Amino acid sequence: MRVKVWGARGSVPSPGPQMNRYGGNTSCVQVTLASGEILILDAGTGIRTLGLDLTGRERIHILLTHLHLDHIQGLMFFPPCFRAESEIVIWGPASPEASLEDRIARYISAPLSPVEVRELPCSVAFRDTPASEWELGGARIRAEAVTHRGPTLGYRIEDVDTTLCYLPDHEPALGAPLAGLEPEWISGFDLAHGADLLIHDCQYADEEYHQHVGWGHSAMTDTLTFARRVAAERLMLFHHDPLHADAFLDEFHASARRAWESLGGDATSLEMGMEGAELEIGAGDPVHA
Amino acid sequence: MCEEDRMERSHTQKPLELILARNLLTSISTPAFLLDASAAVVFYNEAAAALLGRSFEEAGRMTADEWTAAFGPFDEGGEPMAVDSLAPTEAIRDGRPAHGRFRIRAARGAVAIEASAIPIVASAQGSSGAMILFWPLGPNGAGPEES
Repeated sequence: MRVKVWGARGSVPSPGPQMNRYGGNTSCVQVTLASGEILILDAGTGIRTLGLDLTGRERIHILLTHLHLDHIQGLMFFPPCFRAESEIVIWGPASPEASLEDRIARYISAPLSPVEVRELPCSVAFRDTPASEWELGGARIRAEAVTHRGPTLGYRIEDVDTTLCYLPDHEPALGAPLAGLEPEWISGFDLAHGADLLIHDCQYADEEYHQHVGWGHSAMTDTLTFARRVAAERLMLFHHDPLHADAFLDEFHASARRAWESLGGDATSLEMGMEGAELEIGAGDPVHA
Repeated sequence: MCEEDRMERSHTQKPLELILARNLLTSISTPAFLLDASAAVVFYNEAAAALLGRSFEEAGRMTADEWTAAFGPFDEGGEPMAVDSLAPTEAIRDGRPAHGRFRIRAARGAVAIEASAIPIVASAQGSSGAMILFWPLGPNGAGPEES
């Protein structure tokens, strides 16, 4: 399984020279399966440049964790949306309030957008994620609700013998002592357990978190504790705060590795979500683009 | 796979709405139980533990039959009440809030309580359980114990 990060930023796009290395685009990850099929996790602004790479691909599956703007903002600028030959399937969380299409159309419609969903030249289908596991491109996909504000999913993707878990917006420690709690009471535990790569929210430094409790994101110590509890093989810290510039994130990375080692982890198995990074998981070492 | 890993796998993940309900009950000082869809007690908080004289960690998960055997409830005449007639059972069965008064066996003997049961219903999967908040009543049964 090959994973490429097209956007690792949380909350809002954060361009600027001080953000160049980690990148300012919001959540978007490309997963290439053993079958050659690709899945796109979230449609933050990173999906725009990903779309430029996809010429020739007709059927595209986009798996949305939730509909906060930093996870859907790139949809309207996704080049395959404007190709008649594209068949796009968008998966996302169900809501009793409105269909997935209607909720996304609130963004892709006037006055926020110059086009409406019905005007897109591509074929696009909207599907609620099933309650049970389903298959895409030969991989088994599981989606479950996790702790965040509003209906939000995490994904587990099992392809041949490799497992990826994607939890970009997740606050499992909200009111829950992660270190000692039984697994059945930990949000996202089953999704992430034993994953070869866990991509997890780590928006805040511990000293920042107290001002953001309940906002739906994790502090470093909570992310590391969660990753250790679920026995993830590798961990990618993701959804960087828009205020965290490159220099801050370098130090954040070093600090996380020290803390990871103190919890018994291998420092080389912890990495930062970085725009453009490519990883081969389940077979080999990271390859950087 | 090591033994610890096997133990970590030998569980069934609770629905998110039950996880969040437990987090809430952990944080409040009103005595409260959390029931799953089968009406088993899957958690009670420290305030409830103080009243019952036993922590949840000691008691563990209890089926409906087990918790009625341990704590009651009983009617005004001291007779055991049928589980089906209790507010928590109604809340889970009917998916609506329910309220009731009865007596339970607490650490200091029989205590009259008033209980409100709030069903927890997820959008697609139906009832996941209920939160039961309760208040000990005064000696005449007319108000909170503290009044």
